[in-house]
Amino acid sequence: MLDRRSFLTAVLAVSASVSARPLLAAPAPDAGAFILGLAESAMNTVAIKDLSDAERSNRFRNLFVDTFDLPEISRFVLGRYWRSASEAQRTEFQKLFEDIQVYTWTRRFKEYNGETLELGTVKAEGEDFIVDSQMKRAKLAPINVSWRVRRSGETFHILDIIVEGASMAITFRSDYSAVLSSQGGKMDGLLDVMRKKAEQIKLG
Amino acid sequence: MAEWEQVNDPLEPMNRTIFEFNQAVDKALLKPVAQGYRWAVPQFGRDRVRDFVRNLRAPVVFVNDVLQGEPDRAMQTLMRFAFNTGFGIGGLIDVAEPGGIPYHDEDFGQTFAVWGMGEGPYLVLPILGPSNARDGVGLATEWLSDPFNLYMDNIGQDWAIWTRAGVAGLEKRERLLDTLDEIERSSLDYYSALRSTYRQNRTAEIKNQLDAEGKR
Repeated sequence: MLDRRSFLTAVLAVSASVSARPLLAAPAPDAGAFILGLAESAMNTVAIKDLSDAERSNRFRNLFVDTFDLPEISRFVLGRYWRSASEAQRTEFQKLFEDIQVYTWTRRFKEYNGETLELGTVKAEGEDFIVDSQMKRAKLAPINVSWRVRRSGETFHILDIIVEGASMAITFRSDYSAVLSSQGGKMDGLLDVMRKKAEQIKLG
Repeated sequence: MAEWEQVNDPLEPMNRTIFEFNQAVDKALLKPVAQGYRWAVPQFGRDRVRDFVRNLRAPVVFVNDVLQGEPDRAMQTLMRFAFNTGFGIGGLIDVAEPGGIPYHDEDFGQTFAVWGMGEGPYLVLPILGPSNARDGVGLATEWLSDPFNLYMDNIGQDWAIWTRAGVAGLEKRERLLDTLDEIERSSLDYYSALRSTYRQNRTAEIKNQLDAEGKR
């Protein structure tokens, strides 16, 4: 049962959400700003020097889980195999996929060498936004990086990163389905290979 | 997405064998040499090599700009070649880029694609790596029609053709050091990940998407 105060809060919340669109003149949260903000917090928390591998991994994991839509990415990467997988296999897949990403990215940030992200154009594509950017590197050619993001309430979630025209999600999908077919289409075979990979690239 | 569903690799067993061979050669020779090059030659020197190799390719890029019906881009390539060969000391310094005429690449494989030719089956070429039937024919066309190669062949200086190919290859391998390491490290099956990356990257190149955002 609602007491009076929570009832009031609920009414306020409903009326606020009803009137939010016409009244709030504040600009919609902007996908480009989201990517820049993410890059900045990665620089300030994950890329700083003198962190232990474990600490860096933990920090990146927190950021990663918050900003990437892992369930959606997992579904895409597994494609038709997602439907036939059991709940336990899906959970295990997602955990291993997350581990592999975390270790890969932790190493990238460990080798951080003053790269900066410069924002390009942002265009809408269906319900998603494609945020173009360039990673500027000291003494090396810049890299074109585009981000596919989807609005999720007040913020955004990343669905894909496109590096020099190559989508990571599509590459993973093709990589993982090759492993699946070499394992006779068995999810457990893929999970085994992923477990070995995670172990192999784990830091420290 | 549907177009990425099929892997388009009917020759996979043969491709994988060549891929293993390439990997062995790369680990033993090409990669260490590229790493040594990056370590020993400062950025300034490597930029001069890159600019020189790019300028040598300008006639081929120009022909392909024209064949793709891109007069503006053809003009850019022509101007770049004139400025860089003249003021840039035979192409050693890219003076056109800071002057506002950015570099872009083209090749016969891209031209065939613009003409509507499909990519054909995926191919792994010995030493040269990921390709497909269309791009393989493109490479052969370039090798046989490049004015520099034709000239050197004519005057009996074949060493210059091979030296140029070697330097261009070294420059390319150095540029790809980090990218390829990343793909190998983050993939379960390097062969499949590279195949997918190659096809996607080529599609973006054909649409000229990469130099539209980059180089500015």
